[in-house]
Amino acid sequence: MNDTTSNSSSSVENSYSKRAKRWKLVIVGLIASLIITVIISLNIGYTFISYSDVLTYLGTRIPGVNSFIDVTSFSREQIANQAIILDVRLPRILSALIIGAALAASGTIFQGVFKNPMADPYVLGVSAGASVGAGVAILWGAGLTFFGFPIVPFAAFLSALATIFFVYSISKVGTRVPEMSLLLTGIAISIFLAAIFQTMQFMTTDHRLNLLVNWQIGSITNVGWVNWWSVLPFIAVGIVLSYFYARDLNMLSLGEETAKHLGVNSERTKKVLLVIGSLMTAAAVSISGLIGFVGLMIPHITRLLVGPDHRLLIPASVLLGAIYLIVCDNFARVIGGSMEIPVGIITALAGGPFLIFLLRRSRQKYRM
Amino acid sequence: MVTLNVNGIDCRYGSVKILANVSLEVTPGCFLGILGPNGSGKTTLLKSISRVLKPHGGSILIDKEDIYKLKPKYVAKTMAVVSQHNDVGFNFSAMDVVLMGRNPHLGNFQMENTKDIEIAKNAMKLTNTWKFADRPINELSGGEAQRVIIARALAQEPKILLLDEPMSHLDIINQIELLDLIKKLCQENSLSVIAVIHDLNMASRYCDKLLLLKAGIVSAIGTVEQVITTDNIQNVFGINSIVRKNPLTNSPYIIPLSPKKTSKEKEKNHSIHIICGAGTGTPLLKTLHDEGYNISAGVLNNADTDFETCEILKILSISDPPFSAITDKAHKANLTIIKNTNTVILTAVPFGIGNIKNIETAIEAAKNGTPTYIIEETPVETRDFTNEKIATKLIQQLKKHGAIPVKNQTELLSNLKNQTLKN
Repeated sequence: MNDTTSNSSSSVENSYSKRAKRWKLVIVGLIASLIITVIISLNIGYTFISYSDVLTYLGTRIPGVNSFIDVTSFSREQIANQAIILDVRLPRILSALIIGAALAASGTIFQGVFKNPMADPYVLGVSAGASVGAGVAILWGAGLTFFGFPIVPFAAFLSALATIFFVYSISKVGTRVPEMSLLLTGIAISIFLAAIFQTMQFMTTDHRLNLLVNWQIGSITNVGWVNWWSVLPFIAVGIVLSYFYARDLNMLSLGEETAKHLGVNSERTKKVLLVIGSLMTAAAVSISGLIGFVGLMIPHITRLLVGPDHRLLIPASVLLGAIYLIVCDNFARVIGGSMEIPVGIITALAGGPFLIFLLRRSRQKYRM
Repeated sequence: MVTLNVNGIDCRYGSVKILANVSLEVTPGCFLGILGPNGSGKTTLLKSISRVLKPHGGSILIDKEDIYKLKPKYVAKTMAVVSQHNDVGFNFSAMDVVLMGRNPHLGNFQMENTKDIEIAKNAMKLTNTWKFADRPINELSGGEAQRVIIARALAQEPKILLLDEPMSHLDIINQIELLDLIKKLCQENSLSVIAVIHDLNMASRYCDKLLLLKAGIVSAIGTVEQVITTDNIQNVFGINSIVRKNPLTNSPYIIPLSPKKTSKEKEKNHSIHIICGAGTGTPLLKTLHDEGYNISAGVLNNADTDFETCEILKILSISDPPFSAITDKAHKANLTIIKNTNTVILTAVPFGIGNIKNIETAIEAAKNGTPTYIIEETPVETRDFTNEKIATKLIQQLKKHGAIPVKNQTELLSNLKNQTLKN
């Protein structure tokens, strides 16, 4: 009895002292998978372009590498293909990447802060707020731009932020923001704003109805470089900052008071994390519409795979979310032939069964 | 080595005052127990000290520095807290949770190194939790999880440890082990401990100092002997008690008594004399005492359980030295008492040649017309150890004189109740 105890205990010690190395391996593996996914995805599409050409075209945009590539020798077909890779497929794939990453990151943050498995990036009303802004822009602002930005994402982003701010200030009690009050206010405001959006859909009968419906399902069809560059800073900074708070999120899962006892400034950490999560989500949905499932399920799936420690969970979720959305978008591009299916449908169709499979496999072990 | 000072703090929830002018000092190696009834502000006091609930007045100082002005991480290096409720949100293993105790010692992106792992391991060994280090904390029993939480606090390497009812989920062996461990850390590592403890006897046995809270006010503070007194217990908990010495540890030991039903004048004026011995009278003595009757007992010998009970409950008793027959002096005293007694009860005591005179006392009472009860849980023949069954004969005689036999205590009590109602 004593022998087995000391054996299993020393293995515990071992596994913990090798933990940092193991985590690095997981992250490096996921980054490699992400790069491979991007390259494979560049190859997928209506026009066939070989992998060597794909890499060549990519190389023309990489400083240092491009001096070895003779662009002037490109045939007319190659020039056209270069444009397909660099200006059609690449921005779309990279958009899927950052949107997937942003939704997964903020889903992880919200589930962590609220200690609630039902929490997702939309729980504070980001989605409904963005919908109303986008709806107004689609119905009455068609074709307008704002300092060069398309009006729809811009309106969606602003109204999403306004909604969160509103939810937050209603929930505030003194200097504290109780979690339950935030969740309930978020749900109430979401339902109210969703009703406004549905009214817009109901009253619209022309081609704009299609745009509204598409927005609500979420799709990356019309995302270009301008959109990509305009939301990238929010998402990149958000992900880096959330990683900064990873250990604090671990402490918060022991309860706000205990986190305080362990040296975490709980109230401030919670507020900062809510702002980060909301900004990332607002940025992501502003260019893609409401892609569901990723923000709710990717954190759960990742937790099943790598455990609950946020120092690994956050980067792993981010990478898995990115890979997942790129793969789903590939299906969206090719599965329906000439008619594209919104990627939001694919994410839910594929992810639901997969999560249930994982849950059933480890039903004994998994608790949020 | 740090000293903690709480200087006259006031705490309110809204307009409800929870603590008023509470002061205390904990020096290195001191184990302070906080006692008090439910709602007296014990947990609030701990929350104030642990920076969760800022007091509205007064100050809390660690080595003369206000804890609310110190950095959270600095305070966490000095002070660890074990709260009452410890719900862990995710599926962290016991080891994960204990390692979180290292948080205040780690830099922003620093991972726990082998030294941290070693500290966590030692903390888990001390609390007897290392054997399930890799099990998810949410799958552990309440007591196991509680010990993991204590290991986490120890992994913080604190100089002050705050515990809010640390033993609430623990069985007796783990309670003792935990308090032994804490006591040892106080003595060997000069750890200062403040613990809210419900069990007065455990507190008295392990703490160096005690603080008694009543409705948010310090009712008593000092050494165990100064605080654990019948008067203090009566004043704070509103309960009658007897304070004795624990024979093994020499610490004050409290035996709480049921609250007396004070309003019953009739019982107070009704005197009962109980003839018992060999422990047969103890339940009855306790019950009638609690009911408020004016009771006496005798003749007992003073090594008898019933005699002990009388001493504890402060019941008048007549007694003789152990292993001797009833002396004439005691017998006479007994006879004097029953003359002025409303009721006499003879329990199912075993009879030998030494206590045969006690039946004669009962006969005397019956002759005088005093209501006399004989409890016959077992037939007298089975506990008559006299030659020629003298006791059995005397009991028959007693019945002839009008004594009322009853089967058990319950029947006796209902008879007594009827009797007092008639009076």
